[in-house]
Amino acid sequence: MKTQNTALYVLRLALTLFAITAVVAAALAGVNSLTAPVIEALNAEKTQQAIETVLPGGFEEVLTDFDDQGGLVSKVYKGAAGYALEVLPSGFDNTITMMVGVDFEGKVLGISVVSHSETAGLGAVSAADTAAGRAFRGQFVGAGGSLAVSKDGGAIEAITGATITSRAVCAGVNAALACVAGLE
Amino acid sequence: MNFKKQFSDGLLHKNPVFVQLLGMCSTLAITTSLFNGIGMGVAVTVITICSNVLISALRKVIPNQIRIAAYITIIAGFVTVVDLLLKAFIPALSESLGVFIPLIVVNCMVLGRAEAFASKNGVLASAVDGLCQGIGYTVALIVVCVVREFLGSGTFGGGLLNGGEGIRILPEGVPAMQMVMPVGGFLALGCVIAGFQYMMRKMENARKDKEAAK
Amino acid sequence: MEAILGIIIAALLSQNFILVKFYGICPFMGVSKKIDTALGMGMAVTFVMALASAACYAVNLLLVKLNVTYMQTVAFILVIASIVQVVEMFLKKAVPALYKALGVFLPLITTNCAVLGVVLVNVQNGYSFLISVINGAAGGLGFTLAIVLFASLRERVDKADCPECFKGYPLALIAAGFLALAFMGFSGLSIF
Repeated sequence: MKTQNTALYVLRLALTLFAITAVVAAALAGVNSLTAPVIEALNAEKTQQAIETVLPGGFEEVLTDFDDQGGLVSKVYKGAAGYALEVLPSGFDNTITMMVGVDFEGKVLGISVVSHSETAGLGAVSAADTAAGRAFRGQFVGAGGSLAVSKDGGAIEAITGATITSRAVCAGVNAALACVAGLE
Repeated sequence: MNFKKQFSDGLLHKNPVFVQLLGMCSTLAITTSLFNGIGMGVAVTVITICSNVLISALRKVIPNQIRIAAYITIIAGFVTVVDLLLKAFIPALSESLGVFIPLIVVNCMVLGRAEAFASKNGVLASAVDGLCQGIGYTVALIVVCVVREFLGSGTFGGGLLNGGEGIRILPEGVPAMQMVMPVGGFLALGCVIAGFQYMMRKMENARKDKEAAK
Repeated sequence: MEAILGIIIAALLSQNFILVKFYGICPFMGVSKKIDTALGMGMAVTFVMALASAACYAVNLLLVKLNVTYMQTVAFILVIASIVQVVEMFLKKAVPALYKALGVFLPLITTNCAVLGVVLVNVQNGYSFLISVINGAAGGLGFTLAIVLFASLRERVDKADCPECFKGYPLALIAAGFLALAFMGFSGLSIF
């Protein structure tokens, strides 16, 4: 008799936990169906804005045939003024998604950080719309070839206290430049 | 239930951060600007209230052996809801707090309140408890944020005031960048808790003096 | 190979889970009063982190396939809770000596953010199975290193004569701050 009770009890435990999980899952599915389109629209808008920031006049076509040796370039947009490349270098904590504009001569038109999870006040400066953030991103405009932060013997002044993020941004820009060089 | 006592417990005598040292990960990691502190505080408060209410309502249904697993599932559900809502409607905050939003699941404060309070008390009292503890947590985060931001970036209200740059108090170059780095988190929290203990002792002494005078 | 070495060095030193990334601060403050208990906790966490990294990699594949990635947090925490439970039961039966040493710490690991943190980082960075497990194990060793160092510091600091209001946690936090300062010196070691 006792064993049967135990079995019933275990069954009750399992069923209760299963019921809770099922309810939670159903609730999340509901919330997700509401937020997913909003999040998607938001991301699309951010990408669009980033392209317009780095590539004057926006893009006309999306190139699918490009040679990316570093494995960082995820998308290439072509416009009247040049290319906008979405690159994904690894930052301090996570992957940084950034857009790099490159003209037909292989010079950087501008860079924009689409999303990141760098430390607030340090690495996050790379994406911030503040004086320090604009100054950091401005250094890349007009540059070509291969870039590095001053600590590594390059010309890019790293963000104070965020050498790793600055290196990541350089790596992203370099990957974009190398990819464009292969396009011509 | 004594609402006033719950409130002073949450804010002072049993403050989750200063006295119980709960939820330390987020307290140390994200307190670099006022915006982060308020955002994290409000998110945790909302989650604590919701999970407290639901757990209190279900406290007679959930068998004892699996209660922790059940609580964590419920909390994780609310955390994911908040995470999705933030991503959709306040993307700046979601980006700024990053992985520390899903990590609210293992914020010991939320589970701690579920286990210590909501599993034993009624729905309304549990809601009030969640609110009070949440306010205590938020206030603590804000204090640490203000100290760290002032010393580390020389600003006040970063991410919130003055178009996101914050109001500059110290000139550029003066602030010690280390204060917004991990080191500063430990040092600032240590000093803030020391200050808090000093204040509490003063208050305690003043109360004793008053009683003695009577 | 270089990438694996880079991840191990990052998880152990330059991006130490506790002192640089702020994961797992609760057990770091709570179970660091004595060196041997700190070591026990560290070993238990390392074991669970490696195991959880492996299990959650598989679970995530399933979630992605079913297109329900919003269930990640719920699924991962349940997986971690069950792993902790299974490990506890297994050790109790199979290796009683080890269970005696680690037993008290096991239930605490579920709410250790280092475990959920490493799993989320693995998934968000899209690490492969091998790298995920290595990252989990190395992260756990980094946790052990930090907590053992801190415990040995704390055994002395707790006896120090200091202003009344700094006694207890404030002084411990400040000691942890100096330890973090030392670990900042490793930040140049990152291999990218």
